[in-house]
Amino acid sequence: MIRVQDLCKTVTSGAQELAILRGINLEIKAGESAAIIGVSGAGKSTLLGLLAGLDNASSGAVFLHGQNISVMTEDQRASLRAKHVGFVFQSFQLLPGLTALENVMLPLELSGRSGAAAKAKVFLDKVGLAERGHHYPRQLSGGEQQRVALARAFAVEPDILFADEPTGNLDEHTGQRIIELLFALNSESDTTLVLVTHELPLARRCERQFVMHDGVLSEEFDNGGVATPSDSALGAL
Amino acid sequence: MNIVAALRNFSRAWRGGELGLLGFSLCLAVLIVTGIAGFSERLSGAMTQQSHHFLAADRVLKTARSIPESWLTEAQAQGLRTASVVSFRSMVAADEDMQLASVRGVSEAYPLIGELGVSDTAFGEVELVNRGPQTGEIWLDSRLMALLNLALGDEVSLGEANFRLSRALLSEPDRGGMNDMLAPRAMINIRDLAATEVVQPGSLVRYRYLFAGNTEQLDAYGAWLAPHLIEGQRWEDLRDGQPALANTLKRAEGYLLLAASLGVALAGAAIALAARRYGDRNTDNVAVMKALGAQRRQILYRYLGQLLLLCSGAIALGGLLGFGLQEILFSSLQGLIDIEIPPPSWRPFMVGAITAVVSTAVFALPPLWRLSKVAPLRVLRRDLADNSDDLLSSGLIGLLGVGLLMWWYSKDIQLSGALLLASLSLGLLAAGLVLLLISLARRATASRSQGALRLALAAIYRRRFGNAFQVASFALALMALTTLGVLRSTLLADWQMQLSEGAPNHFLINIQPNEISPLNAFFAEHQIADAGLYPMVRGRLTHINEMLLKDIEGIDAERGNVNREINLSWASDLPEDNRLEAGAWWPEVSVNGADNIAVSVEQELAEQLHLKLGSVLNFNIGGQTLQAEVGSIRSLDWSSMRPNFYFMFPPGSLEKYAGSYITSFYLAEGDKPLLTALLRAFPTVTLIEIDAVIKQMNTVVAQVSAAIGLVLLLVVVCALLVSVANVQASLDSRLHENAILRTLGASRKLVASGLLLEFSAVGLLAGLLAALGSNIALYGVQRWVLDMDGVWHGEVFLVVPLLGAVTMAATGWFYCRTVLTTPPLLVLGRL
Repeated sequence: MIRVQDLCKTVTSGAQELAILRGINLEIKAGESAAIIGVSGAGKSTLLGLLAGLDNASSGAVFLHGQNISVMTEDQRASLRAKHVGFVFQSFQLLPGLTALENVMLPLELSGRSGAAAKAKVFLDKVGLAERGHHYPRQLSGGEQQRVALARAFAVEPDILFADEPTGNLDEHTGQRIIELLFALNSESDTTLVLVTHELPLARRCERQFVMHDGVLSEEFDNGGVATPSDSALGAL
Repeated sequence: MNIVAALRNFSRAWRGGELGLLGFSLCLAVLIVTGIAGFSERLSGAMTQQSHHFLAADRVLKTARSIPESWLTEAQAQGLRTASVVSFRSMVAADEDMQLASVRGVSEAYPLIGELGVSDTAFGEVELVNRGPQTGEIWLDSRLMALLNLALGDEVSLGEANFRLSRALLSEPDRGGMNDMLAPRAMINIRDLAATEVVQPGSLVRYRYLFAGNTEQLDAYGAWLAPHLIEGQRWEDLRDGQPALANTLKRAEGYLLLAASLGVALAGAAIALAARRYGDRNTDNVAVMKALGAQRRQILYRYLGQLLLLCSGAIALGGLLGFGLQEILFSSLQGLIDIEIPPPSWRPFMVGAITAVVSTAVFALPPLWRLSKVAPLRVLRRDLADNSDDLLSSGLIGLLGVGLLMWWYSKDIQLSGALLLASLSLGLLAAGLVLLLISLARRATASRSQGALRLALAAIYRRRFGNAFQVASFALALMALTTLGVLRSTLLADWQMQLSEGAPNHFLINIQPNEISPLNAFFAEHQIADAGLYPMVRGRLTHINEMLLKDIEGIDAERGNVNREINLSWASDLPEDNRLEAGAWWPEVSVNGADNIAVSVEQELAEQLHLKLGSVLNFNIGGQTLQAEVGSIRSLDWSSMRPNFYFMFPPGSLEKYAGSYITSFYLAEGDKPLLTALLRAFPTVTLIEIDAVIKQMNTVVAQVSAAIGLVLLLVVVCALLVSVANVQASLDSRLHENAILRTLGASRKLVASGLLLEFSAVGLLAGLLAALGSNIALYGVQRWVLDMDGVWHGEVFLVVPLLGAVTMAATGWFYCRTVLTTPPLLVLGRL
């Protein structure tokens, strides 16, 4: 479902070249869930942006749903996202001018699917907000907003769901409920999940864990409940 | 995207509040432009129509010889109405008495426009009629009736014909110049002219052919006529026939045009600010939509659709309100104007609609284009550059657009070019100054560790381009307002000075020296205030510095009004409303040639003739030569209705030449019968009544003053809109910054005073720039657009910055109260 080959990202800051990603290789199969963990500034979000085709890599290739998005134009990538990708963000990213229901309808409308409203209602119901469809984001709590965002992400029935620190702006209790909901919906729809986080417990709920450290990605293996990946990167968390 | 989807998008965006301010600005732009343009157009149409009363026609053909009948037939064939007037001087006799009269023979249709004022007694109650005397009848000026001791029904002879006096003639619409009024008027029907046998080959007769119709007909006929005209025949409109009035109207029209053009520019500035905010607010939305799979084309269509619908709505609503505004403006003028207002036309609405479309295109499309280019990565990294770097280019596009609009609207490239250039310079100056100040402030505080202040300054620095744009746009608004405000007072002062209450409205000339004391006694007895008696000697200027006037290069003797006999006078004191500009008044004045007589010259004439202190002038007075040396230069107000002279001499220099005296005085309308007594007592004195002309002028000035007052009010609304748009443009980032400040421990009081300080500073700075800009603009406009003297207005440097600071602080406070009451956490969580 997702394949990454020798992915590099370099940015120029003044006269200095700064390597953010240094030769990432990665393969995630359909239906798998993967967590990318790492400290702040390790390059997690940059990788996520490249995986979702939101940005261009300096070199290397990203294959999404079998297609090399590195050679695509921005519009082609957008079109691919519309068909196959869902998003959940740390700061929810609901459009403030739209109601909860309209926010859920938005990606459905953008990809030109019919019955947007009906489908959006179903998914709002799934996240327990059927009654709040006509409320605006500012009238919802943080947890509720993130539930709307989950409904928006799953309503398009994506093949791949990218989640960027989905609990980062929430208190522990609320965050926990969002995670339960996320994984419930994920298993229900059999979506491939790529989750960026710095929270170990959350990462552990995924089938695979990758650690990002200084622009290099390495997969960690759970040794029967003993938290071994601590030596290098995770220990820092 | 289909229309349903577009409407759905639009209604969502509208509910979301993102379109409100932009829509409001667009709507107001259409409203203002439709309103002002329509109001000015209709008012100016009405005023022009009324001003044609002063010609008694729309156009006049003046000639010294009668024209072929076929010319009039052609005019009538082209749909014009025509009338003929023949004027000459002749003696009017009754019994034993005779008086010189200025006679007019008028055709049946005279006057084509306007009315004649008549009465049954001399100086009696005015009755308005729209036709002249029937055959066999004669109408005489009141003073002629007084001089000849006549009453209605009396027989009067003119040349070989006898007439029955049927009316006292009090006013004619086209009684204009002084020359026309030197002798009192007698009016007969043109068909009786032949019977008088007064007009013979070689007699001094002037013909006026009057034409009325619509502009196209008149222009067509004018074009047909042009090749037929010979020397001495002139096709005139109001501008030629009544220069003083035409000047007033031209200034008023110029003012209204300027106001409407500035209204367009201000509305443009408000739209620009609102469009920027619209773009900024949607940046994150677009990033989200792109992340969710929206293509650039979809984004463009989506927002283009919104703008299109918004613009259409604004045009429809603004246009409708604009027509309403025209009616409100006219109804508020009720009682002030008693002229017929032409019906509304579509042109102002089209002007408004095109203004909206062009403003949207130049101001809202660039932000929209930028929106479509927002990187989807922004959803993950909010710190991504937000494209504010091309502000200069979009500012230039906007200015160019507004410039083109003004040009198209005013059809005056000089005016719109000057305004555009002034706005551009002011904008660049403001932007440069703000950028400089911000950099300096940042550098000054960078080394110190005052966390909150440094943070605030860093934030201000971060949106320094936005700040510069705001100061520039607000400065522009203030400049427009100041320019129009000052201009209005200047125009009003100028007009009212001409026509102040109690200004002399009658002239007496040909007063003999032995009549002076009885005349003063008459004035004293009837409590008439006169402007003082001035001696008057007729003379012609022949040489300047020993050179013949006509041989001197660079002197336009015709224009200088000196190629004729002019009135010379003398006085011991400088006349009341004259001012010495150079040299000294006698007896202090010194001249180079010990024997030369000093003379004081009027300033404008001195400039035209290149006269300086010490220039030697020769005058021919009744065949004798008088040499004088320029000892002083005076400025004076020709429109003061007091006796004024180009050349004034010291006492004792002109007395040996035979001369007479002149004075002017004010007489209220009810005291008119006194004139009969005056003329009976002083039969050789010539009376000139200009009260009717003054009254007509007063009406026009009252209308114009009221109109420009209202238009100024509209421009104030525009300027306020700009300041609101200005504050709103930075509301979001301010909200964010202040939340950070308060989180860092800044008290509400500190944040509040910081806010007020920042807004006041913006207003103050904009005010200072506006004061400078408006002074430059005023000078240019007065000098080149309105034909007035340019004056420096120092007071605006005090008033405008204060006004700017207070307005900006008040508006800022009003809109930013939420900044202080919103919990910081809520703000930070939201952004």
